[in-house]
Amino acid sequence: MSATVAPRPVDSEQRPGVDWRVRLLDRAPFLVACLMLAVIVAIYGSYQTGVFTLDELNLDTAASMTLMLAATGQTIVLLRGGIDLSIGGMISLGTVIAATQFAEEPGSVAIWSVAILALGFSVGALNGLLISMLKLQPFLVTLATWSILNGVAMLILPTDGGSVPGWWVAFGYAQFLGLSSPVWMLILLFVFWTWFRATRLGITIKATGSNEKSAFLSGVSITRINVATYGLSGLFAAGAALFLTTQIGAGSPTIGKDYILPSVAAAVIGGVSLFGGRGHLAGTLIGAFILTLIGNLVFVLKVSSYWQPVVSGVILLLSVLASSVAEKAARARAQ
Amino acid sequence: MDLVTVTGLSKRYGGIVALSDAEFTARAGEVHALLGENGAGKSTFIQILSGAVSHDDGTILIDGKNFRPANPDDARARGIAAVFQELSLIPDLTVEENIWFRHEPMTAIRTVDRAAMRRQTLELLARYAFPPLRPDQELRRLTLAERQIVEIAKGLAKAPRILILDEATSALPAREAGWLLKLTRQLAGEGKLVIFISHRMAEVRAIADRLTIFRNGRTVAAHEANAVSDGEIVAQMIGRNLDRLYPERVPSATDRVALKVDNIASGSRLQGVSFAMREGEVLGVGGLQGHGQRELFQALFGTAKASGRIELWGKPTVIGNPRAALIGRDGIALVPEDRRGQGLLLTKSVRENLTLAVIKRFSDRGFLNSRKEAALVKEMVDFLRIKAETPDQLAGTLSGGNQQKVIFGKMLLTEARVLLLYDPTRGVDVGTKGEIFQLMRDLAAKGYAILFHSSDMPELVHVADRVLVMRNGRIAATLDGERITEENILGAAMLEVEAA
Repeated sequence: MSATVAPRPVDSEQRPGVDWRVRLLDRAPFLVACLMLAVIVAIYGSYQTGVFTLDELNLDTAASMTLMLAATGQTIVLLRGGIDLSIGGMISLGTVIAATQFAEEPGSVAIWSVAILALGFSVGALNGLLISMLKLQPFLVTLATWSILNGVAMLILPTDGGSVPGWWVAFGYAQFLGLSSPVWMLILLFVFWTWFRATRLGITIKATGSNEKSAFLSGVSITRINVATYGLSGLFAAGAALFLTTQIGAGSPTIGKDYILPSVAAAVIGGVSLFGGRGHLAGTLIGAFILTLIGNLVFVLKVSSYWQPVVSGVILLLSVLASSVAEKAARARAQ
Repeated sequence: MDLVTVTGLSKRYGGIVALSDAEFTARAGEVHALLGENGAGKSTFIQILSGAVSHDDGTILIDGKNFRPANPDDARARGIAAVFQELSLIPDLTVEENIWFRHEPMTAIRTVDRAAMRRQTLELLARYAFPPLRPDQELRRLTLAERQIVEIAKGLAKAPRILILDEATSALPAREAGWLLKLTRQLAGEGKLVIFISHRMAEVRAIADRLTIFRNGRTVAAHEANAVSDGEIVAQMIGRNLDRLYPERVPSATDRVALKVDNIASGSRLQGVSFAMREGEVLGVGGLQGHGQRELFQALFGTAKASGRIELWGKPTVIGNPRAALIGRDGIALVPEDRRGQGLLLTKSVRENLTLAVIKRFSDRGFLNSRKEAALVKEMVDFLRIKAETPDQLAGTLSGGNQQKVIFGKMLLTEARVLLLYDPTRGVDVGTKGEIFQLMRDLAAKGYAILFHSSDMPELVHVADRVLVMRNGRIAATLDGERITEENILGAAMLEVEAA
């Protein structure tokens, strides 16, 4: 038998591009999030003057940045198909350590900042190890570590208090070229993500969340991926804690819990799938903006602040609904 | 010199022996077919060779050097690439990301070089004249056949010396399958070893230089392909002892039609099947795995969307969901494939499991009449000889055979007389198997109609009154009486009738 398949020239065949409608539907959750943000900003702008200024951007980004940092870590974990509740404990612990250990001189702040970040990564890596080695649910493991970290934070500082240097607080509002430091951090987050999602680690985390068995068959070490994923999440939680101390100027052993579910909500609103493998940080950051701006909106509309969680919940439901409808439509069209 | 030499290879999963003392030798530059029934150990063998699982005993030599891969990367480093039947692809990555996954060309800042990746992809696809693929398409949007082609591309991207194709043609349409067969010959011509697993005898005949036959985890024979007949191959694949497992088959079918199925189709796996099953009949459904048997059962029970007509006891029926299918004496009941996942609530008691589907029968104005329930449960436990200490024992603590009996009990309590049994003896001990076959014949004698799929051919041969052999989502043959033999079933399942 001598039959062979004849090689053909590389560009000999017309390959139709992917149907643009399918592409659009694939991005629908993200686009819906953008639309919701636009609507909220529009309503906000019609009740309040000065919404479309750099000052407003600086303020709102400062108000969102803690959540954005926490949600960046959460997004990485969600892409992996997991969830990280322990970030609540890590954020509390981080603020408490900073508020009790930061001395006035920059050297002390630098050393303790690095220590807090290292602690965040280590605790996260430990989460990843426990999940892999004991084959436990991420939800349960990180629930446990959340509780432990929370307890340690309470032991160090039982009530809100302590302090951080004034120059450290000022750093949280410092401006450069008209943009405040949180806005520069936001830009950095974008740059980081653009790079990270194209790295092999970024692709592998997403791939493992998409289908763990296939990833394993392709040679991925699941343990290593878990350690990296949860380690990064812990690192970002520690970063969120450090940023938070510039905003509150003190430590709080209980404040972290306010970021656990919102970090998940921000990601989901931005189109990140809870089942892993799908989503972008851009969506998460928009989701975080939406959640923050709802607070502003409730304020300018002069209604009870209890409307804030109600509206957040409705928006979350709308996002989930949009994803589900778009996925069905895309699937129907792709067939 | 032989490129691959395997001796004494063994692998156990818990108490189940998957491979026992298997032997295999193959040379560079040949297409070597690996044959055997479902469960003969072929999959385990190639999983070991490709580093997906590790073996317990035995040695593998590649180029005369010892080879014991700890993971798929080790196998890759020695030039082995496997195209799995269970696809190793990532749904949320694009075609090209999948092909080069973990071996992407990188830029200076440690990111994937997309331009280079696209170039490599197009070169690879062109070099082997692949059917058209869109490199930037997300994998989850592709058809099964397209995914199989991507999987092949992924295997070839590693430039392997040994390429394992595990039923790679089974998901492909005829034209693409033909392309793959040609490609296989070409790779052998380039000096590579292709280990080729297929259930299609015609394909094996067309391309294999040599073949090795596995049975029950052992190597039974190795042949030059042109020195052995189809009949000899099939006989060697089957040849096993029969034991006193099977009850006497007393025909009990009447003329009354219990279940009439007209052109039922579902998805790509079930392509239009028609048959009639009579009262008192045990109707077997055979064929190789993945030829639509599962989809047929799901469609009949209503857990998969399907088109076509179904009549139960002469009445047209719309069976849209399991709740509709279950109701009453004229209904359908199913013993599902996945006992632990679909059939049983492991953390509930035997009693709760038995009565779950029929809770209405014990209700008085919305309240549970527990005395009525207890009586029926006892009756069923006694009838089936379920070995539980009390009816309140948790189902998860029973043996596999007794768990299966609980599922049978649950099904019988629905009073439905058309029963769908999907591989009911899988993972069940031999003693209970015998009891289950006896029960099936007893029920048939009482006028039940039983549709029975088994992945174990002798069960069909010895228990069923008639056997439908499925191939490619259709019925390839209907066998009855003397014609129900393993040879005929396997023959109809494997031998493609070449279109003239």
